Amino acid sequence: MTRRENVERQEFAEERASLWKLTLGPVTWAVHFAASYSLTAVWCAKLAAPQDDITLLRLIIGAGTIVALVVILLFGLSAWRQWNYTQTGRATHAFGDAENRHEFLGHAATLLCGVSFIGTLYTAIPVLVIGSCT
Amino acid sequence: MSKTRTHRIDRHTDPEGPYPPTEEMLAEPIDPELRKAQGERLKKAWAMPKGWRYISAVNNSEVGKWYSLTAFGFMILAGIMSLIMRVQLAVPENDFVSADLYNQLFTMHGSAMMFLFAVPMFEAISILLLPGFLGARDMPFPRLSAYGYWAFLIGGIFVMGSILFGAAPDSGWFMYPPLATQSEGIGSDVWLLGLSFIEVASIAAAVELIVGTLKCRPPGMRVNVMPLYAWYVLVVGGMILFAFPPLIAGDFLFEMERSFDWPFFDPTRGGDPMLWQHLFWIFGHPEVYIIFLPSIAIAAMVVPTAAQRPIVGYSWIVLSAVGTGFLSFGLWVHHMFTTGLPALSLGFFSAASEAVVIPTGIQLFAFVATLMVGRVKMSLPMLWIAGALAIFTAGGLTGVMIAIAPFDWQVHDSYFIVAHLHYTLFGGMVFPLIAGIYYFYPFMTKKTMSVRLGRWAFWLLFTGFNITFLPMHLTGLKGMPRRVFTYPGDVGWDWLNMISTIGAFIAAAGFAVFAYDLLRPKGRQPKAPRNPWNGGTLEWSAETTDHGWGSRSIPYVTTRYPLWQQKGIVERMDEGRYYLPDAEEGLRETLVTSVIDAKPLQVMRVTGPAWVTLWAAAFTGGAFILPTFHIYVPAIISGVLAILCICYWLWTSTAIIPEKTKKDAGLGLKLPIYISGPGAAGWWGVFITMLGDATAFASLIFGVFFYWTASPDFPPEGSIHANWIVMAAAAALLTASWGAMLGSRQLNMNGRGDLATACLVAAPLLALAGIGAMILSVWLPGLEPTSHVYPAVMWGLVVWTSAHVGAGVIMQLYCLAAVIFGKVTPRYDAPLWNVTLFWHFVILTVLVTAAVVAALPRVL
Repeated sequence: MTRRENVERQEFAEERASLWKLTLGPVTWAVHFAASYSLTAVWCAKLAAPQDDITLLRLIIGAGTIVALVVILLFGLSAWRQWNYTQTGRATHAFGDAENRHEFLGHAATLLCGVSFIGTLYTAIPVLVIGSCT
Repeated sequence: MSKTRTHRIDRHTDPEGPYPPTEEMLAEPIDPELRKAQGERLKKAWAMPKGWRYISAVNNSEVGKWYSLTAFGFMILAGIMSLIMRVQLAVPENDFVSADLYNQLFTMHGSAMMFLFAVPMFEAISILLLPGFLGARDMPFPRLSAYGYWAFLIGGIFVMGSILFGAAPDSGWFMYPPLATQSEGIGSDVWLLGLSFIEVASIAAAVELIVGTLKCRPPGMRVNVMPLYAWYVLVVGGMILFAFPPLIAGDFLFEMERSFDWPFFDPTRGGDPMLWQHLFWIFGHPEVYIIFLPSIAIAAMVVPTAAQRPIVGYSWIVLSAVGTGFLSFGLWVHHMFTTGLPALSLGFFSAASEAVVIPTGIQLFAFVATLMVGRVKMSLPMLWIAGALAIFTAGGLTGVMIAIAPFDWQVHDSYFIVAHLHYTLFGGMVFPLIAGIYYFYPFMTKKTMSVRLGRWAFWLLFTGFNITFLPMHLTGLKGMPRRVFTYPGDVGWDWLNMISTIGAFIAAAGFAVFAYDLLRPKGRQPKAPRNPWNGGTLEWSAETTDHGWGSRSIPYVTTRYPLWQQKGIVERMDEGRYYLPDAEEGLRETLVTSVIDAKPLQVMRVTGPAWVTLWAAAFTGGAFILPTFHIYVPAIISGVLAILCICYWLWTSTAIIPEKTKKDAGLGLKLPIYISGPGAAGWWGVFITMLGDATAFASLIFGVFFYWTASPDFPPEGSIHANWIVMAAAAALLTASWGAMLGSRQLNMNGRGDLATACLVAAPLLALAGIGAMILSVWLPGLEPTSHVYPAVMWGLVVWTSAHVGAGVIMQLYCLAAVIFGKVTPRYDAPLWNVTLFWHFVILTVLVTAAVVAALPRVL
């Protein structure tokens, strides 16, 4: 067995963790969403009067959004490598072997990172236009 | 320690023999005599109880049938209620029903459709179909399914029956306080206790379905080839686990207020009705997708068969299911756009409401693409799917409109919303469900339904539905509010309401035709052919005579559509040339495989017919239903009896020590019969249940923080706080109990049964002392729960945690008995693993409670 085969064998061995890996993109969206919501709730209830300017809050959420987007991008890149589309050109993984399963999980995770990226961008849109708590 | 464990795994639990099977192995013929004998033994093991004993059956095929017919019955009742409402609204100033009855009718219509039809129907259909999709013999915990069903039946009859006594809940299906908390009579209690009981059954079913999908797939069916339905079941099961617990936590607070006057939602004593709205909708919006996804999953099974080709974009549909599952949790506030939350918060939820359209849309495009590239046969199920797509798309478009907060402010609580939600639910649930019933009817009953009646039903329902609900958009825009029992005649709503009423009766006629066709006796009709639609997935391998065994042998699967893509698979299954072709010991068995790659791990013995599940459900029902009438002592006795029944059931039928360590599973593969720890289905069951339980606890903690943000003084100036020294002692005692539990598992594994017994004697004593100290820590300083929400919520956390520790003590005593009476040995120790896992969650709950009750208020 060559070294490369060996590496592949290891890579395709059963990945208990990889079903969770599928959720990394959406979890990042969820964390960003929940953090933005909680921060706004606390800020508007405890720190700012209804008509106050909330530029600082908007900047913080903006910074958080950038962090979240970068994290999703990194998860997406890792998933994209696992999918290995550039080498195999495969987009359907319909056969029941380890390689198909491995690439399928990469493919699905890549797509989920895409949706999470868009979802996170959407979350940030109100921050661009809304200037006060009411 | 780890060394011993690994060593043990090698010796006793590793599969032995060749896997995967080679072509030659599968081609080897089986002696016809042997085959016949094997078939007889299997038939006997899986035989249904006869006569009146039939109701003690636990086979997924029977429980699934009862479950779906019961849910269908509740739907008909809730539908009749809607017709009564439509008659009332047909003309202005009508007095067909009183305002009070009308309130009960719309509350019960919504509650029953959601809690007694839509969610249970998903569970019912999945229990019925999932083993078929997976070529499995049964679900992993058949008695749990049966228990869930009987709980559902009892709870459903209780809730539905209340309307006959004029005692039904009448504050709307979302039970907003203060209307619902202050509502007179027992209506609100019926809703809270009856439906909590059913929610528990729902979570039980979700646990079963998740474990079934993860652990009971046929050998070789890796995650990338499992039927799409299984993906949806996994996602929806996960959603139930995170969506229902917040509602259960809310119900807990609500019932505490109703029964003991703890002011969680009473603003005069620091409470806040908004907390209920948050908890309700954190459940309520994912709920919509919990209803929608399983139905669209049926479409994902029907569409490839109609197109006679594999689905296009399998990965995209997985993305769609998982993505929708997540995003649907970011929508709840769009039901609360008019409650005065900060504009920025509304913006976040508006954005997520628009974003969820992306994954939802993707799966519909994948279906359309499959139909475009296939050779479509416009079968009856496909007709219903087509209707579903049309109606759902219309509902989705109004959804995009009302996700915009300013538009929602205009139409909030108007008939526009009624129209929108019925479009999404009919398109997203009712039509695909009926499509599924037509499609799977031959699988479920071995007969076919009438095509002619099916077309009649479709066109009646489709036109009737649109005539009813399309005008409602306009009725709503013209300003008619929901939930009014009548209206004046001069505001331009009359003719629109009359049209809606006429449409409702046309739709009802469609339902009647469908129900007649579904239930009419078909004894004389010939049997349906084996695979009538030429489907490609495993359920269509089912024989035309039901033997109760699911499949004759469990196949080795390497493709998404094995019946199309693996030549000769059905013949091989029939001849018993795959796994588990025999029941040598006359016991019910199914295969347990690994989560990702479905490698065979275990031959699991599953439970058979039993009465104890019925008793357990009846007593659980007593424990939930009696408090409605403030009858507490019999309720407690009933609860104790329920616990005894469950202990008896577990003791006599689970984790039985087998007569040998391994058995032949067919094709030369020898598998262990007993597994404990993370490889076992039971361990996964506990883990998944406790994930849901932890979510409910997290919702209570969310409540504490909510009160802190929502009110200017929480805790109020000069409040009495819990005694932190006593609370610290409680935490220490409970941690010691957890340590003793963990210790007993390790010691037992190392063959030190005597020390393990000592630990199991100490653990419950420490735990009881811990509960006592925890209660003292709030009782001694004199926190008065009825005086203000702050002491109430602290007491609430303590009560919640004590109840969990109490359950943990019962489990520890169970383990103690198991070690003493030899039900647990160093080799066979599943109960210790499962109870230790439970205690991991308990100790987390304890430590968070201690921190929040004793430390946090001093910081805030």
